[in-house]
Amino acid sequence: MSATTPIQHGHSRTLFWIAVAVSVLMFAPMAWVLVLSFTDNEALSRGTEAAFTGPYTLKNYTDIAGNSGVFRWFVNSLIVGAGQTAGVLVLSSLAGYAFGRLEWPGRKVIFVIVLFGLAVPEQAVIIPRHQIFSTLDLHNTYIGLMLPGMSLPFGVFLMTQFFRAIPPEIDEAALLDNATRWRIFWKVLLPLTLPAQATLGIFTFLFAWNDYWWPLISATDKDMYTLTIGIASSQVNFAQTEGLGFLAAQAVFAALPVLIVYIIFQKHVVTAVSGGAVK
Amino acid sequence: MSAAIDIRHLTKRFGALTVLDDISLQIEDGEFVVFLGPSGCGKSTLLRMIAGLEGVDEGEIALGDRRIDPLPPGERGVAMVFQSYALYPHMTVRQNMAFGLENVRTPKDEIERRTDAAAKILEIDHLLDRKPQMLSGGQRQRVAIGRAIVKEPKAFLFDEPLSNLDAALRGRTRLELAQLHQRLGATMIFVTHDQVEAMTLADRIVVMHDRRIEQIGTPMEVYQRPATKFVAGFVGSPAMSMLPVSGVTQGPSGARVTVDGVGDIDTAVPLPPGFAAKGASIGIRAEDTTPSDTGLPLTVDVIERLGDRTLLHGHLPDGSELVAQDTGRSTVTAGDTVRVAVDPHAVHLFDADGRAHHATGAD
Ligand SMILES: Nc1ncnc2c1ncn2[C@@H]1O[C@H](COP(=O)(O)OP(=O)(O)O)[C@@H](O)[C@H]1O
Ligand SMILES: [Mg+2]
Repeated sequence: MSATTPIQHGHSRTLFWIAVAVSVLMFAPMAWVLVLSFTDNEALSRGTEAAFTGPYTLKNYTDIAGNSGVFRWFVNSLIVGAGQTAGVLVLSSLAGYAFGRLEWPGRKVIFVIVLFGLAVPEQAVIIPRHQIFSTLDLHNTYIGLMLPGMSLPFGVFLMTQFFRAIPPEIDEAALLDNATRWRIFWKVLLPLTLPAQATLGIFTFLFAWNDYWWPLISATDKDMYTLTIGIASSQVNFAQTEGLGFLAAQAVFAALPVLIVYIIFQKHVVTAVSGGAVK
Repeated sequence: MSAAIDIRHLTKRFGALTVLDDISLQIEDGEFVVFLGPSGCGKSTLLRMIAGLEGVDEGEIALGDRRIDPLPPGERGVAMVFQSYALYPHMTVRQNMAFGLENVRTPKDEIERRTDAAAKILEIDHLLDRKPQMLSGGQRQRVAIGRAIVKEPKAFLFDEPLSNLDAALRGRTRLELAQLHQRLGATMIFVTHDQVEAMTLADRIVVMHDRRIEQIGTPMEVYQRPATKFVAGFVGSPAMSMLPVSGVTQGPSGARVTVDGVGDIDTAVPLPPGFAAKGASIGIRAEDTTPSDTGLPLTVDVIERLGDRTLLHGHLPDGSELVAQDTGRSTVTAGDTVRVAVDPHAVHLFDADGRAHHATGAD
C-alpha cells in the first residue's frame, strides 16, 4: 500500500530532519553500549574515552560464557517469559471469548471488575501479593515468577474487543455446520484472532523479559534470578569504574532476545503500536 | 423422507417487543417458498427460528415427521445461506464446504465426492483452494450455497442472499437458484423484501407485515387477488394506485364506486353485503388502464418511458395519485390531462380494515 499522507514539500523536509534527529538521539545510547561492550575493561577503567580509541576485544563476551550465572539467568528469563506469555494468551483468549461471545448472567458486571484491574498499580498490591506467595511457598519458583503477570486485564480487554468484532453470523454458520462450542472457539474463532494473539504475545514477552521489580522481590535465590536481576546483582562497584565493558556486553546479551522477537514479528509490533490501524 | 415444514402458532418476543404473533404456515416437501415483506417485519426472525438460531417463545416447528424446535441448529437437517455469506475467512473454499461434514465425521472420500460435485454444479471447481478474500462477491455467494449443498439438507434457508450482488449478477443468480431448486428438489425458504425476486422464484409467497402473515399464495394469486390492501400495495411495480371511496352502490355488473371529485367507477366486483364506504378504497394497477375518450381525468405529472409501454404518473381532480399506462409510442407530455378507462374486472375493492374484494373469476 502506498497510502502516504500527502504532506507539503517544505513540511516534509522539516519533518524528515526532525525524525533523523530523534532517531539519532534514540540510537546514540545503544550505539554507546554496543561500542563499550567491545572495548577493553582495563582501558575503560582509566577513562571512557577508550571507547573511541580502543583497544577493542571480544573478551567481554567470552567472559559471559565463563560466568555460569548469566546462562542460568538467561534460561530463567526465557522460561518465565515463555510461560507467562503462554498463560496470558490462553487466559485472555478464553476470557475474551466468554466476555465477547457468550451470554451469561453477570457478564457485564464481571467485565467491569476486570477492567478495574487496569487502574490498579502494581505498587498497591505488591505487599499482600508478597505475603500470599510467601504463605503458598511460591517464592523462588518459576510459577511464582510467572503467575502475577498472567492476570493481565489489558489482555482480556483486547481479546474481548477482538472476539466482539467477529461477525456473529460466523458462529451461527458454524453452529448450523454441527460444530460444538469448543470446536467453534478452537477451529473458527481463535484462528481469526491470530493478529491480536501475536500483538499480545509480543508485548507480554517483552514485558516479562524486562520486568525487574517482581523478580527482585520474589527471586532471592541466585539460581532463580532472571537476567535483569542477575545483571543488576553483578554490578558490585557502584562507581562503575570497573568492568564497564563486561557490563555493556551483558546488557547487549540481555537485549538480544528482544531484538530477535522484534525482527521476527516486526510487522505485528508496528501494528500493535499504531493501534491496529496499519493492516 | 418428507421435508415438509409445519409451523404452528409461533410467537416470538424480544423483551417486550412481539416480533411474530401466532404464525401458522405449512410448507410442502420440495416447495420453494418466499417470505416477502418490508424490512423489519420479522422475516429473518422467522427463518432463524426454523434454523434454530432464535428460540421459540410459543408454538412448534416440525420438519418431516420430527418436531425440530427443541433441537440445536446442527441437528435440524437444515442449511442456511446468510446475507453476508458468513464464510470462514481463514479457510479455503474446500475447507469451508468440508467443515460441516467433518463435524459429523463424514468419511474423507465422501467429503471429497460431495465437495467436488457441488463445486461442479456451481462452477467454482477452479476456486477450491482459494480463500474467501480472494473471491468476488458473486463467487463468495456461490461458495455459501455450496457449503449448504454438500450437507444435503432437507431444507435450504436463504436470508436475502442476493442483496449484496449487483443488478446483473442478481438477475442471473436468481435464475440459477431456480434451476438449482429444480435439480435438487429440496424444500427451500427464501427471504427477501424484493417482490421481483419473490415473483420469479416462488412456488408460493408468504407476504408478511407487522408481526403477521398477510397472505399465502402463488405469485399470481398474490398479484391478482391480493388478500389485503397492504399486499396489493406492496406487490407489483409500479405500486397499485389507491383512490379513496366515498360511496358504493349496486351498478350494472357489480359495485359502482364513487370517488369524490372524480366520479363513478363501475366495477365487476360483486357488492359485498353490508360493505361500508367509509374508509374504503379502490385499487387500480397501471396495466389495467387504457387511454380513452371517456373515463377518469388524469393530469400527468411525470412520464416514465419503459420502451414497450409508457407509465403516466399523475393526479386526479381530488388530488389522489394514479399511475396509468399508455403504449410505447405515447405522445402524452407532462402537464397534459388525459382520460383513462379502467378495466372493471381488474380493479380491487378494499374495506376500511384493508380486506380485499375482487371480481369473481378474475385470475
Ligand atoms: N436480537 C434482537 N433483539 C431485539 N430485537 C430484534 C432482534 N432481532 C430482530 N429484532 C427486531 O425484530 C424485528 C424483526 O426483525 P427481522 O426479523 O430482522 O426483520 P426482517 O428480516 O423482516 O427485516 C425488527 O423490529 C428488529 O428490530
Ligand atoms: Mg432480514
